[in-house]
Amino acid sequence: MHGWTGNILRVDLTTGRAWREDIPREVLHAYLGGRGLGVRLLRDRHRLDPFDPDLPLIFAVGPLCGTPAPTAARLTVVSRSPLTGTVYDCSAGGRFPWRLKAAGVDVLSIEGESPQPVVLAISGESAELLPACDLWGKGVHETVALLAGRGSVATIGPAGENGVLFANIMMGEGNSVGRGGLGAVMGKKRLKAVVVNGDRPVTLLDRKRFDHARQDVMRLFRASPVIFGELGIAEYGTPALVDLMRQRRMAPTENFRRTVFDGAANYSGPALRREYRPKNDGCYGCPIQCKKSTPQGEHLPEYETVSHFGALNGIASLAAIVRSNTLCNELGLDTISAAATISAWGEWRGRFPTADEVPALLADIACRRRDGELLSLGSRRAAAALGRPELSMSVKSLELPAYDPRGAYGMALAYCTSNRGGCHLRAYPISHEILRKPVATDRFSFSGKARIIKIAEDTNAAVDSLVACKFSFFGATLEEYAELLAATTGMEYTPQGLKEVGERICLTERFYNCANGFTVQDDLLPERFFSEPGSSGEGIEIPPIDRARFDEELQKYYRIRGLTAEGVFADADFLVRQP
Amino acid sequence: MRDQIAKYTAKLIADRAARPDGIAFAAQDDRLIADGNPELARLAEGVLSQLSCLGLVAACPALPFADFLVARAKPGESTIVPRDTETRTFLHDIPFLRRTELDSDPAPQIARFLANRKGVVVEGVGIVASGAVTVEQAFINYCSVFHATFVKYLRDLLHEGYLIHGEAEAVREFRDQWLRPLSAEGLVSRHGSLVEPAEILAEIETVGRYTVERGLVDSFFGNISARAGELIYISQTAASLDELAGCIDPVPLDNSSTTGITASSELLAHRRIYEASGAAVILHGHPKFAVVMSMECAEENCPITDCWKECPRVRFLGDIPVVAGEIGAGGLAKRVPPVIGGPGKALVYGHGVFTVGRADFAEAFRAMVDVENWCREEYFRRLAAV
Ligand SMILES: [Zn+2]
Repeated sequence: MHGWTGNILRVDLTTGRAWREDIPREVLHAYLGGRGLGVRLLRDRHRLDPFDPDLPLIFAVGPLCGTPAPTAARLTVVSRSPLTGTVYDCSAGGRFPWRLKAAGVDVLSIEGESPQPVVLAISGESAELLPACDLWGKGVHETVALLAGRGSVATIGPAGENGVLFANIMMGEGNSVGRGGLGAVMGKKRLKAVVVNGDRPVTLLDRKRFDHARQDVMRLFRASPVIFGELGIAEYGTPALVDLMRQRRMAPTENFRRTVFDGAANYSGPALRREYRPKNDGCYGCPIQCKKSTPQGEHLPEYETVSHFGALNGIASLAAIVRSNTLCNELGLDTISAAATISAWGEWRGRFPTADEVPALLADIACRRRDGELLSLGSRRAAAALGRPELSMSVKSLELPAYDPRGAYGMALAYCTSNRGGCHLRAYPISHEILRKPVATDRFSFSGKARIIKIAEDTNAAVDSLVACKFSFFGATLEEYAELLAATTGMEYTPQGLKEVGERICLTERFYNCANGFTVQDDLLPERFFSEPGSSGEGIEIPPIDRARFDEELQKYYRIRGLTAEGVFADADFLVRQP
Repeated sequence: MRDQIAKYTAKLIADRAARPDGIAFAAQDDRLIADGNPELARLAEGVLSQLSCLGLVAACPALPFADFLVARAKPGESTIVPRDTETRTFLHDIPFLRRTELDSDPAPQIARFLANRKGVVVEGVGIVASGAVTVEQAFINYCSVFHATFVKYLRDLLHEGYLIHGEAEAVREFRDQWLRPLSAEGLVSRHGSLVEPAEILAEIETVGRYTVERGLVDSFFGNISARAGELIYISQTAASLDELAGCIDPVPLDNSSTTGITASSELLAHRRIYEASGAAVILHGHPKFAVVMSMECAEENCPITDCWKECPRVRFLGDIPVVAGEIGAGGLAKRVPPVIGGPGKALVYGHGVFTVGRADFAEAFRAMVDVENWCREEYFRRLAAV
């Protein structure tokens, strides 16, 4: 078999046992890897509570991992989110995925609960649990440094140990498995870190065909202004979007009360470049290198992070924003949810935090003390406890990122249809509504968006299963990646076939969510977006979203997906019929 | 979606990319609709229902070149490989179905090809192209296939001559009837340098529309800019030259803002041309004869095979410099600026034309018309000698 190893490494933390099993080929072919494979392997346990010891925490690489396919040194972590209650997956790049695959496995599935803190060390064929009482309580940086001699590290920080509902799993090189609180799931299992040092090469079936497809991808990257353009993300990182979102008047400001923040120029792409002279510090093996760090190696924040620690909290100091980002990385906190939860709390108490107050708040959240105890539950639970549930700017309890839905109606719909809650990356309509890729759509129209969102969700589910980075698709398409996949595995995938794989994955996720009680009532934006306008001006009107039109498009989406008007499955046996 | 179908049907007719009576579109949101020529509409519907795409066009091209390419293909071949670099970058190759291979209902066969590619040539039927996201995207993919087959056929003719029955007559008719004289006469454009932003935007919109209306370029391929002080006003990526209202980005020369992340992929080339030539405006498009002629090279025993990106020479077609270079962050931004200053025009191998105006668009437009006219004449002169 090429591309896949065909193996799953299973670890039971309760008993301390680790063993390998085969993964049936047809499952690999039908779900590829990464997100799809992880979601498939969650079957029959998808109703377990996120903190139930029997719920697996699944690390899955894809068939392209370990090959020179651009942006494909990634993995996906899959489980059920304690923040949203949905099935959850998040992808991250770096050396870790590559070395996990090189240890001869496609999947690492961890279940059970260790009696005391442990580190899982995978070295070649062996996997052992090492006591980690001395690491427990330590920050991410120090943990990584202490384990680095054993290989590449994925670890939680204090936030994960303490069960913060938006705790990340952090990769040694600074990438994060973010948003849904899978760090808390790992912490509940008392697994401080996984360290892996596999070194088996991944075999590739047809080198010549592969190289040809790879060149096609690189040519499309070079032709894409968003990727390699002189104002694109390879040059400036994702903060290249700051100026654009300001100009489009859709940068969430002061808990989404406004959509323009005057201080945004302080943390734009050019401002970051001016202040820090950044160097490339992106994912291992990625030609785009959108992540930047200071010459001293301090990671610089991404677009979502600068905007939410900036505009959303009314903070214009770049130094303060960079400090917040560094602190979140160190504590293992998701930056979007942390900043948005603090912002919702700020609106509740009538005052957003000053730049000087943020570090202590973040530390309190990670340690779940003082105000941090409440804020560690995320904005939805915190706002409800404070008696103002409407102040949580979230969908399915997941805090919305830095694209105001009043400025992009496809984004508005996609926040709601996303199977993991208010996330921009599932259908990523910003690509066409704002960045004009592959073609432009009218951002203030719902017309056609239900179908577009459905297709994009399927496409991205396939991308997340390869696993490739979404940013590749500002230039390349599934055509080139299907070719890379075929050259690697010998299986003739087409873009259409990959979209069908993606559809199976999206529907499986939705089925799990429905089984856990999710319905049309959960596919909804906060009321603010239907009743309050954004900040109009400079010839751009940002009215509230028309609720009736939104509902109409959501119903279209359900029909396209074959769901009932309630957003659930008419067919209770859907899952049984899937491979 | 019906308004989109009507809009792009009209565009195919206006661009003379398809026969007015031979166009059909299909599109789907929660249900599938099809419109246009009834037979093609049935086909479009049948194909789209099997694809995860929003839009699809099935149309009969206004010229028989795609069918000629299929007829000229060797037995066993199943794809047309475009010769021009721009369509090759985005399409890779164009699969075709021979008339003899077609089932009584060819929709499933066509859908199988479109599962993997953006467009397909179906001999005797036309070009079928899909759009994953919009109806416009299907239109664009159709136009890409039309452009690619147009350029490839004309180039193949120069190298291989007429091979099959009917070609010579069709090409004569194409030359005498289909092609219209290109001219810059009668265009109302502003003379002298542009200063006011509103004036600049209006002028870019007008000139963009002229390039399409005059049949100089296809709407979707090209970009246009004007420099005013420390700003470059440039058309956005994936914008249509004849619909530039609201699609022009002001980009500061010193990169102090990144709002221009949505600007044309040729922003860097434009910037360097301004720096190197002192031009006031730049026009870029893909006039077809210029693209065909740019690939004609007299060099013998040259070791370079990927001419389109690797040829280091500056060749000349008449007084027009020709250079190689990939689009975007590839090589053309390096190779065009040094050669364009003097002649005010330059050709990029297998891609298109850049022209500049030292003061206004009238000069740049005239230069592009002259380049295409020269290439057109030269093409038929050489074809007659084949
Ligand atoms: Zn071009």
